[in-house]
Amino acid sequence: MLIDAMGLILADNRRIHLGALNVPRALAAVPFAGRFRIIDFALSNMVNCGIKRIGVVALTRYKSLMDHMGTGGWWDLDRMRQGLYLIPPYINPVTRAPDRTDAQGVINYVESGDQTHVIISSSDYVANMGHLSLLDRHIVSGADMSVVYTRDGQISGPPSMTFELDGDGFIKDLMVDYPNPTSELNAFGLIVISRTLLLQILEEMMARGIADFSIVGLLQHYDRMKILAIEHTGSLFRIHSVASYFDASMQLLDDDVRQKLFLPDRPIYTKVKNRAPCIVSSDSGAVKNVLSSDGCVIMGHVENSILFRGCVIGHGAKVTNSVLFQDVQVSDGVTLDHVIIDKNSVIKMGGKLVGQPGFPIVIAKNSIV
Amino acid sequence: MARQEIIAMILAGGQGSRLGVLTDFIAKPAVPFGSRYTIIDFPLSNCTNSGIEAVGVLTQYQPLELNSYIGNGHSWDLDRNNGGTFILPPYLSQEGNEWYKGTANAIYQNIPFIDSFDPDYVLILSGDHIYKMNYEKMVGSHIEHDAGATIAVIEVPWSEAPRFGIMNTDKDGRVIEFEEKPSNPKSNLASMGVYCFSWEVLRSTLIEDEKNPESRNDFGGDVIPGMIAKGLKVFTYHFDDYWKDVGTVASLWEANMDLLAKPDLINLRDKTWPVYSKNPQRPSHYFGPDSIVKNVAVTDGTEIYGEVYNSIVGYSVVIEKGAVVRDSLLMPGCRVCSGAVLTRCIVGMNTVIEADVRATPDEEDATEAFLNALCEDDITVFAPDLIIRSGAVIAGNSMVGPKHADIRPDIVAEQPHLARREMDLC
Repeated sequence: MLIDAMGLILADNRRIHLGALNVPRALAAVPFAGRFRIIDFALSNMVNCGIKRIGVVALTRYKSLMDHMGTGGWWDLDRMRQGLYLIPPYINPVTRAPDRTDAQGVINYVESGDQTHVIISSSDYVANMGHLSLLDRHIVSGADMSVVYTRDGQISGPPSMTFELDGDGFIKDLMVDYPNPTSELNAFGLIVISRTLLLQILEEMMARGIADFSIVGLLQHYDRMKILAIEHTGSLFRIHSVASYFDASMQLLDDDVRQKLFLPDRPIYTKVKNRAPCIVSSDSGAVKNVLSSDGCVIMGHVENSILFRGCVIGHGAKVTNSVLFQDVQVSDGVTLDHVIIDKNSVIKMGGKLVGQPGFPIVIAKNSIV
Repeated sequence: MARQEIIAMILAGGQGSRLGVLTDFIAKPAVPFGSRYTIIDFPLSNCTNSGIEAVGVLTQYQPLELNSYIGNGHSWDLDRNNGGTFILPPYLSQEGNEWYKGTANAIYQNIPFIDSFDPDYVLILSGDHIYKMNYEKMVGSHIEHDAGATIAVIEVPWSEAPRFGIMNTDKDGRVIEFEEKPSNPKSNLASMGVYCFSWEVLRSTLIEDEKNPESRNDFGGDVIPGMIAKGLKVFTYHFDDYWKDVGTVASLWEANMDLLAKPDLINLRDKTWPVYSKNPQRPSHYFGPDSIVKNVAVTDGTEIYGEVYNSIVGYSVVIEKGAVVRDSLLMPGCRVCSGAVLTRCIVGMNTVIEADVRATPDEEDATEAFLNALCEDDITVFAPDLIIRSGAVIAGNSMVGPKHADIRPDIVAEQPHLARREMDLC
């Protein structure tokens, strides 16, 4: 399959904060769905439609992102021609601050490809989607740029990019983070643009001293460019707050949701870890409605929860409505409800943590509670 | 090629006929094991963890699955600039080579391959043993004894010794006599089929063995006894950890169950000695709202809605609500439908057990059409890629294979060929 497009993934978003979850890592590297990270979905969507050249623009805290991506082999992106490119910011050698030539790395990456189009994805949503029809519609419409949207403008909450359409389906008014949106049309970070136009925009940005390259920045050209809006009707999770992250995670426990997200012919690839199979012990409590992963040892009671790889749930522990990241240890007798626990944390004997459905407790990475 | 001090040759060409329908179309080392592994993962991971960087895998019988599984060796970190994995099937040449006649002949035919690395030591390993062993230590002991050959041995119960090749040694561990399956064993040190040779010694022995028309060209039967008879230094290397040859239905089932019953014996969680495998790219596994799961190993892509007890469940398996699985081994991609009851079953890859099928040892009115001498201890085996029709009642010790689709179409059907094998999705 040949597709005349290269990929560009924005690994971070200065407008999004997931509390303790994205303090140690870029947004794109936040773990999701038991054994994945958010970026796996954008990368796999691109790879599954035949894209062979993908750049990942990092801002800060990209160590775990780099660990995760490696040479790109997990996505078949360790190629001699094309492949995976990490684009970290340039630091000014004198001031040690991010350079105003921030976009230069992106320009170099875009310039050196030979594809006609660029598919740009942000890292604040999770979906399994094919990009071929998107590209076709973009080309047929003759638009300068195309952006994908869903109809959750009035319920999603900030950050939002609500807009109005003209009679031809092009964006005529864009409202960013507007508190009382009148439109339900809400764009998300998936854009198709020609390589030459993207280069022109990037060079203008540089010339004007604008360093921040973002989806919003691109869409703000609606007043002088034809931006086609294309609706996404399949399932999609926006990840823009702890509450939305938690809600998206809990929805994964629904069979239908999982089936739409993990299609056999469009697999989501991720970094492989050679963990032993998960063991549910003979004296475990009930294990119901749980998504769990290799390396877990379940001896306690777990319900309505997601366990990432290597979690250990002790005897008599009761874990409900919670998300436990990799290698979290829950000691005997602990009670957890509505809690998100980041990697490598240990919840010691007899502890009890209870959050609320719209307000889960978040325990930071490497904590000992 | 760059010189390697040690190279490993894994014998993976055997048919594994005692596993019956499980190896109809794949070589024994490619049989799935322990939820997310394949049997050959164990020797390959041992090589990686022992620091061995050049591994030849000798294939002959039904090699396709095994070849595609091993690929370039990446999953075991054996994709190397110098060394790496090499699949070595028999080949034709000017001299008119032929099929591998025996284990020793297989190595003999690959002398040029081994020579190209100019190694000091060659390890001969089996592709169908479940164990974790540091080969470096064995080579160390080989060097210490200045031996021509070193044979890994394990103490077996005296009652079982007549089933093995037994090494009789002097007090220093030097082998003075080798007895194949002795009825009155003098020792309980059984050969594990893991050998370390000095390449120079092995090379000349193999050439000599090839010239002998009487020889069956087998390591255990000809090469080792020949070396002992010639007075070459053959030593034993004692191994006292978990080791199991999974050549029979009963031993395959038992070794799988050992992962649950004796998790410390073959510790898959030991981070200093990981067992690597090719990973399926599937989502995490899911336990449904009404599932009951006790003492079960489970891995990616599997969905359990029914009841499972004391079982090993591979990846992408579905156990529907109302199904009950006990003491069984479900290989990747299989499905157990609602109302089905399986006890002591081995279900091959992608096989569908339709609703209300019963395959348990003490079933009344069970069909005995599939009883097979390869099955014992009430274990029932279903071949890969079958459909077992709903309502079938199957007796213990049965072996159900594709050939039964013609004889008992009311019970057995083959999967349509469109069904994609799960392994392709890796």
